[in-house]
Amino acid sequence: MRVGTLGLVPPRYGPDVVGGAEAVVREMAAGLAARGWDVEVLTTCARDHFTWANEYPPGVTDDDGVTVRRFPTVISTGREERALFGAAIHEGTDLSLREQSRWMNDDVRVPELFHHLLDHADRYRALVFAPYLFWPTFACGQIASDRTILMPCLHDEPEAYLDLFRPLFEGSRGLWFLSEPEAELAARIHPQLPAHEVIGSGLTAPHGYDPDGFRARHGIDGRFVLYAGRREGAKNWERLLAGFATATERSKLPFSLVTMGTGNVDPPSSIADRVIDLGFCSDADRNDAFAAADAYLQPSRYESFSRTIMEAWLAGTIVIANAASDVVRWHCERSGAGLLYDDDPELEQCLRFVADAPGAAADIASAGRGYVLDNYTWPVVLDRVEATLDSWLPVAETSCAS
Amino acid sequence: MRILMVTPYPPVRDGIANYAVQEVKHLRAQGHDVEVLSPEPSAAHHHLELDHRRGPLALAKRVREYDRVIIQFHPDMFFPPDATGARRIETTLGLLTVFRLARQIEVRVHEINYELGRGPSLLARLTRSMWRSVDQICVHTEAERQRFADAFGVPLSHIEVAHHGQTFIRRTEATREEARARLGIPHEAFMFLSIGFLQPHKGFDRAIRAFARIGPGAPDRPCRLDVVGSVRLEDPDYLVYLEELRDLAGSTRGVELHEGYVGDETFDLWIVAADALVLPYRFIWSSGVVERAHLYGRPVVATRVGGLADQADPGTLLVDDDDELAAGMRSLLGVPAAPRPPAAPWPGGDRETVMAEIRARAAASRGFADRTLATAPARNGRGRAAAGLASSAPLRRVPPLVLPSPVSARPGVSSVKRLIRRLTAWEVDPLVTQVNRLREAVIQSVESTPPTDRERPD
Repeated sequence: MRVGTLGLVPPRYGPDVVGGAEAVVREMAAGLAARGWDVEVLTTCARDHFTWANEYPPGVTDDDGVTVRRFPTVISTGREERALFGAAIHEGTDLSLREQSRWMNDDVRVPELFHHLLDHADRYRALVFAPYLFWPTFACGQIASDRTILMPCLHDEPEAYLDLFRPLFEGSRGLWFLSEPEAELAARIHPQLPAHEVIGSGLTAPHGYDPDGFRARHGIDGRFVLYAGRREGAKNWERLLAGFATATERSKLPFSLVTMGTGNVDPPSSIADRVIDLGFCSDADRNDAFAAADAYLQPSRYESFSRTIMEAWLAGTIVIANAASDVVRWHCERSGAGLLYDDDPELEQCLRFVADAPGAAADIASAGRGYVLDNYTWPVVLDRVEATLDSWLPVAETSCAS
Repeated sequence: MRILMVTPYPPVRDGIANYAVQEVKHLRAQGHDVEVLSPEPSAAHHHLELDHRRGPLALAKRVREYDRVIIQFHPDMFFPPDATGARRIETTLGLLTVFRLARQIEVRVHEINYELGRGPSLLARLTRSMWRSVDQICVHTEAERQRFADAFGVPLSHIEVAHHGQTFIRRTEATREEARARLGIPHEAFMFLSIGFLQPHKGFDRAIRAFARIGPGAPDRPCRLDVVGSVRLEDPDYLVYLEELRDLAGSTRGVELHEGYVGDETFDLWIVAADALVLPYRFIWSSGVVERAHLYGRPVVATRVGGLADQADPGTLLVDDDDELAAGMRSLLGVPAAPRPPAAPWPGGDRETVMAEIRARAAASRGFADRTLATAPARNGRGRAAAGLASSAPLRRVPPLVLPSPVSARPGVSSVKRLIRRLTAWEVDPLVTQVNRLREAVIQSVESTPPTDRERPD
């Protein structure tokens, strides 16, 4: 029953926000609203997850039928403790709960969002928080556990193992996962998981692609491989650049590396003239880029779903991915449409294969589109979402003040 | 004419200093009254800390005393590596003042970030304005000239191309035999030379690896590779690279690494002694070593990077990758180059077949499992190799240990991090090297261990 208000709580929200979890929440909000749900997004005024600067005005707006409430971010410290404890976490040092808490709170905070939920949580039939790692989810996701659904977008990263997050994972009403490997990881870390379901993530296949238009718009001649997303250490961007540089040095490759998204590109000097940064691109431009590319590169070890590989497959483009990500490896093996590498020599050979045998690469990639359309379209995903809502938070049991 | 040249200067060891002193000599020979100002104490007449906040303005106070000011420009001379945006604006304004006050200003551009001139930011606009204030800009290649004009909106008429070696002079008159006698190089050996500062972007490791592929030659016609140079800065990354070069040279027959300071004459002596120079740069604007090789008529094999294509004379062989580098060295040696084997065709068919081939080829390129694969006569042999690769995959997915970059968005923190990095490098770098060696050793060990009965493939 599509009764009651659904509150979706991502830390950032908007068409120009780069981030997989944020994209999933936005499309889910639109999809649920289109099905007749009363959907409210509760988020911050930030666009960038490094600065957390308030770039959108606070207050209430409408985003194609979805009510968006924005609350200002606050950073009141120099974030020294955040950096210090963050480094300790990555070094594998055990931190006390108190230290973990200081790590979490010495960062962006959104007091007004917290207090809005404190005052009004019972207005919502369900509150959906994603992803798990940020303060809004951690702090606000525990205000009304009985109606909280956590969509953690969990990666096998050091932070995932902090005791700090146990109440969030184990105390929520339910959890939505984007893939089976993500659910398995969560179960390994938190054996006492509450009700959970793999809902996946949905994509909408573009009506068409214009690869030639993309090349013309950006003045790109010749063959290229593509990376789209955040250019940062967590996504293994620097390792990809290093591997691409080595491959290029060792054997002549016909590819440029085109990249779009946010973050500094900083290519090594030896390949600076081969790396083309397009910055932030529109959805249509991004789709055309996938179609124009010889291959899509996914270097990240930390993925809970990886929308971009799905977008590549929809465009008929082969994926070359880091096998260190359980999720991406699972998709590539299950679909049969992606190549995997364990180290730089294998990355080089994957690139060499695509360079030498584009026809064979296209043959392999051809399985990808069907895989996405069979498993990851929004109608399929939203059916699972609605089924779990009815099961975990039936109308009769959930008292909504509204 | 009274001329002020602003430049790094000997005895500081620096390619630009080397270049500048030859131009000073040339100008003085023409009868000009030339004074030199350098950014640190040197043989120059004056010195100013140009990367200091007040450096450009202090320079501005002096330039009116000269008829002509020539700046040998490298960004690091004026902009600290961790300069904030505000600091860059301040320095750019200072340089703009210098350029406007000078009666005649000429800038020889040795390196520049073209991106700084693009876009609507205040810094970009100031940077464009700064470069438009220069009477004559000098670059070393036509490609640089075009890029400079595009990036900074400077009319092409204000940018000239100066041949990098136009003022270069010989510093030795020794013959090849005399040079070899002085350096202790056997007369009969064919000698490749890689010379310059030992730093990663010079790519001398590539020269050694390429030499390893062609071998030390026949007994009656041995060949050798001499790598000559010193570390320019006690930068931890450079020291790690030096360690890598030592390892490579120590394990490759026919290669000698000559570490240490090389004076100007000895530098040329090495070139004269050589039969060919190998310069596999990963990145460079233009190369003084190429010019010095031209000066003595020594052939060069170099990578096609930066402005080298413009610099190359008929004696320079430009290559695009390591295969071509080895082939180029072979051809200089007079050994008929083994024709590049045609790339083995990739198997068609399903993804699993392609993945197996990718793993086998990658293993071959790693130089270990290839022996297992190549010598595996039967299906079981290949099966064992494949099992070894599968076993080592989790290890290979762990990337080599690389120290995090000492950078931070917070003001001043980058400098602190760099300082800490320098202070701890003597202790940390050997650990990093050892961890990575252990990683390699464990991978090799796993791949060479016969699978247990449980794991043995059918």
